[in-house]
Amino acid sequence: MFKAGRSAALLAALAAAALSLSACGGDGGGSDGKVLKLWHYEAPDSAMGQAWNEAIKEFQAAHPGVKVKFEEKGFEQIQKTAPMVLNSKDAPDVMEYNKGNATAGTLSKQGLLQDLTPEVTKRGWDKLVSPGVQVTAKYDAKGTMGGDKWFGVPNYGEYLQVYYNKDLFKKYGVKIPTTFAELTAAMDTFAAKGVTPLTNAGAEYMAHQFVYQLALDKAPDRSWVDAYQRYTAKPNFNDAAWTYGATTFADWVKKGYIAKDSVSKKAEDAGVAFMGGKFPMMFSGSWWFGRVAKEAKFDWETAVWPGAKMTLGSSGNLWVVPKGAKNKELAYDFIDITMKKKVQNMLGNLGGIPVAADSSAITDPKVKKLTDDFTALAQNNRLAYYPDWPVSGFYDAWVAQVQKIMNGTAPGEALSALQKTYEDGLPK
Amino acid sequence: MTVTMTKPGAPARDRRDAPRRRRRRGPSAYAVLVALIALAGVMLIPFLVVVFNALKTPQEYTSKGPLAPPSGFNLDAIRDFWERVDFGHVLWNSVLVSGSVAVLAVLLSVFNAYALGIGRIKGRIWLLALLLLANTLPQEALVYPLYYMAKQLGIYDTRLSVIIVFTVVQSAFGTYLLSSVMSAFPRPLLEAARIDGANRWQILWRVVVPVVRPTLSVLLVFFFVWTWNEFLIPMVFLISNENQTVSVALGVLQGQRLMDATMSSAAALLGLLPTVVFFLIFQRTLSRGLTAGAIK
Amino acid sequence: MTTHHEAGKGRGAATGAAPRPAGRARAREQLGYLPYLLPGLLLFTAVIGVPFLMNIGTSFTEWSGVGSPSWIGLDNYRELVQDGEFWASFRHNVLVIVGMAIVPTAIGLVLAAALTDLIDRHFGSRAAAVLRACLYLPQVLPIVIGGVVWSWLLSPDNGAVNTLLDDVGLGSLAHDWLGDPSTALWSVLGVMVWMQIGFPLVVFMSGLQRVDPSLYEAAEIDGATWARRFWHITIPQIRPEIFVVLLWTTIAALKAFPQIFVLTKGGPGGATNVPSYYSYVNFFEKSDVGYGSAIATVLTLVIIALTVVFLRLQGRDLGEEGR
Repeated sequence: MFKAGRSAALLAALAAAALSLSACGGDGGGSDGKVLKLWHYEAPDSAMGQAWNEAIKEFQAAHPGVKVKFEEKGFEQIQKTAPMVLNSKDAPDVMEYNKGNATAGTLSKQGLLQDLTPEVTKRGWDKLVSPGVQVTAKYDAKGTMGGDKWFGVPNYGEYLQVYYNKDLFKKYGVKIPTTFAELTAAMDTFAAKGVTPLTNAGAEYMAHQFVYQLALDKAPDRSWVDAYQRYTAKPNFNDAAWTYGATTFADWVKKGYIAKDSVSKKAEDAGVAFMGGKFPMMFSGSWWFGRVAKEAKFDWETAVWPGAKMTLGSSGNLWVVPKGAKNKELAYDFIDITMKKKVQNMLGNLGGIPVAADSSAITDPKVKKLTDDFTALAQNNRLAYYPDWPVSGFYDAWVAQVQKIMNGTAPGEALSALQKTYEDGLPK
Repeated sequence: MTVTMTKPGAPARDRRDAPRRRRRRGPSAYAVLVALIALAGVMLIPFLVVVFNALKTPQEYTSKGPLAPPSGFNLDAIRDFWERVDFGHVLWNSVLVSGSVAVLAVLLSVFNAYALGIGRIKGRIWLLALLLLANTLPQEALVYPLYYMAKQLGIYDTRLSVIIVFTVVQSAFGTYLLSSVMSAFPRPLLEAARIDGANRWQILWRVVVPVVRPTLSVLLVFFFVWTWNEFLIPMVFLISNENQTVSVALGVLQGQRLMDATMSSAAALLGLLPTVVFFLIFQRTLSRGLTAGAIK
Repeated sequence: MTTHHEAGKGRGAATGAAPRPAGRARAREQLGYLPYLLPGLLLFTAVIGVPFLMNIGTSFTEWSGVGSPSWIGLDNYRELVQDGEFWASFRHNVLVIVGMAIVPTAIGLVLAAALTDLIDRHFGSRAAAVLRACLYLPQVLPIVIGGVVWSWLLSPDNGAVNTLLDDVGLGSLAHDWLGDPSTALWSVLGVMVWMQIGFPLVVFMSGLQRVDPSLYEAAEIDGATWARRFWHITIPQIRPEIFVVLLWTTIAALKAFPQIFVLTKGGPGGATNVPSYYSYVNFFEKSDVGYGSAIATVLTLVIIALTVVFLRLQGRDLGEEGR
């Protein structure tokens, strides 16, 4: 009759047991200089994942008494919790972190990152990385990139390129374009034959990157980019370049170069559609390279946007050392190993665009072209970063406004809305 | 009204075991059955898609798209994910956290609701609204304050911190549901127990809890499933991989710009199996209803 | 029966104008229940109360989450009042309440009644249990995965929904469901109903376990139709659950954000934006914790006001008829 009482006691006992179990455990790493705590968020089979795994092995060979405690993290977890983690005693010794004002810049301003400038000069990393790539590793007191202090070390690069499905070009008798005029002519031919030439994802970065690239094509010079990205002057979103970019994009949607029903598509789906052979071209980042190489079943090649003076791209993510790291010397040693030729060449051969490799050591011709194109862009200061970088929360504004353009809003109106978000978001 | 409340249990048990009640199956009953089966089928379509993709190779996913059925039975994605995140350990963390929260939050809800619903303490509407704040406050707003408190107490990056937080958060719903149910509790039952000399503690466990037991089972299931799928607070508080829960571990597959669709599907399947099993086990108690003996 | 009536009167007396002794006895009686509330209140104060006050505090500051906040008074609130998009998005939220609260509650009621009253009785409890499990399953799937799968199904070029429409000869209805501003919010609402339906269903079915089946039988013998039984027996009997589910799903709808985030990210062009999205973006994407706190505070106050009104209505309703 009074069974309920007993089951309640059982419940309570269970609960107590669970609590005591969960309270213990947790604190793992030691602080006696014998452990290097390393975090990154690259998939194990990616170029970075493999090359850095090699770096860990090298590091262990060079530091026999040290244990490397590597943990693979989710991108989102690092992105959202970095300020909190770095402000606690659980911070790692070295970790991968996103470049840009809203990420590494913010952390540096908050005083959570170690200033690496002395180490960079001592170990000569500044000689390895070309100036155009350095910009995203150096921040000023306000956390704006292109500053005077190094708060991160870039290990690889990234940029946008056109991926061509050569089989489809052959099938429709179209020549792979090398100039902008040839590009539009090629798209006309495809569109006339009922093939949408460009894959696109309106719900994510792909759509507004078209707009930015088209604007860059008409940008007067480098200072236009610096004004927009580094606040060196006040940009006008209704100037000739931006207006050309947005109206041309709207025009392309109208002409069927870009499918109107790609408004809600995600980048993943757009990329899969290209790799599935449904589109002749994809204009997107080098981060797709490894996957296209592995999964596309047609003949393909890549090239920089036809006729581009400047294009989207920057250094890759950075190695950063938290201010509260316990083993900074070990962290520097590890970064140094990833900058050495051996790891850099390996990164290059895997399609990861190294910042300091021997071009001659890269064997595969496609991969060699990928790396050489980047080196050329970086050395001539032609990397223009990404349109959503200047102010935080700008990405969502870009996606929203470009979706509106695709759904018929006047380009000028969308640009004015972007101008407002930009000005509201400028660092005070 | 009173008719309803006298011995609600006995007929409920009868209904479950008595085949004789299945006599009047009119055509309309069959129509409803068919309609419900069709609806259930539609509800399950997305799960079918998840299963499809979990069994594909990445190449197959790319060439045929996400909705095509798999050509073979490829378990690589599941195996790879298991090894990549040490899934056995992650699973144990999730069971520990969700299980503890489910049990503790139900206990807390019972106590709160007993005071509010049966005890009818003065100002209970305001008290209830206050306790409901645990749910109404957006979790983003809790993150920073709780982070600083956990750091002070030295329980940042422990599973205990997450258990405590969710015990309180989940018990808001339990408190509300139970106190609503209890405020409609048949008073004669309480009076009878009091006349028999039972004190409050005994009445709670011998009279009240047995009657609301189906509701308690519902709460247990909900709390377990809800905590299992919680993402934000575990992500913030469980920093070390050794403390991570399933939903946080799933996050490694959503990269900065690429996602791994086949492995995500595989991982999602792995992650939801335990909750489905938990639901199926407890679903029996959902329909068991009351046992007559508990009410005497 | 008699006891029941006296208890009812006693309670009425305690709240209204009543003879003194009854009121005092009632107060003493209530005190005895206080210890049961103690653990809950203590834990609540630590985990929710203090953080909520801290949140109100930070809403008067400019703060990035780390370091020392700087006091800016009411600036965040002033900014919020002028934030046109924030208030405009409340309009979407009304529809989200329909999709996440009202429709699932209504469908859940009908389904719960059909499963308990028809399936369970005519085909056995096992059939009812299996169906309930199937309908509940979407609640178990992590929202992120559910969102990805639905965006595949709703995809404009080769999604299952459009293919199906083509196959049954309704190809003209095929659509960019999530990309067209006129259908995006409705499509999201449809997915929300799918995700949400299991919750009311399970709560209502557990509530119906308390109902005496002889009530239904008596009604059936009297020749009442299923609809009449549903209206006159089912609904009144599980009133407490209906209130709870309605309030709960309404709160969830006001806080709804993950569902929208994974499906449309508020797009196309803000057509599916909701207020809670702002607090998220400000906390985590802009690191503007002060402004995020102000939004969270306003949203919480709106929800509290709604909760109190709702609880009063519920108290009155259950006080009058529920007993």
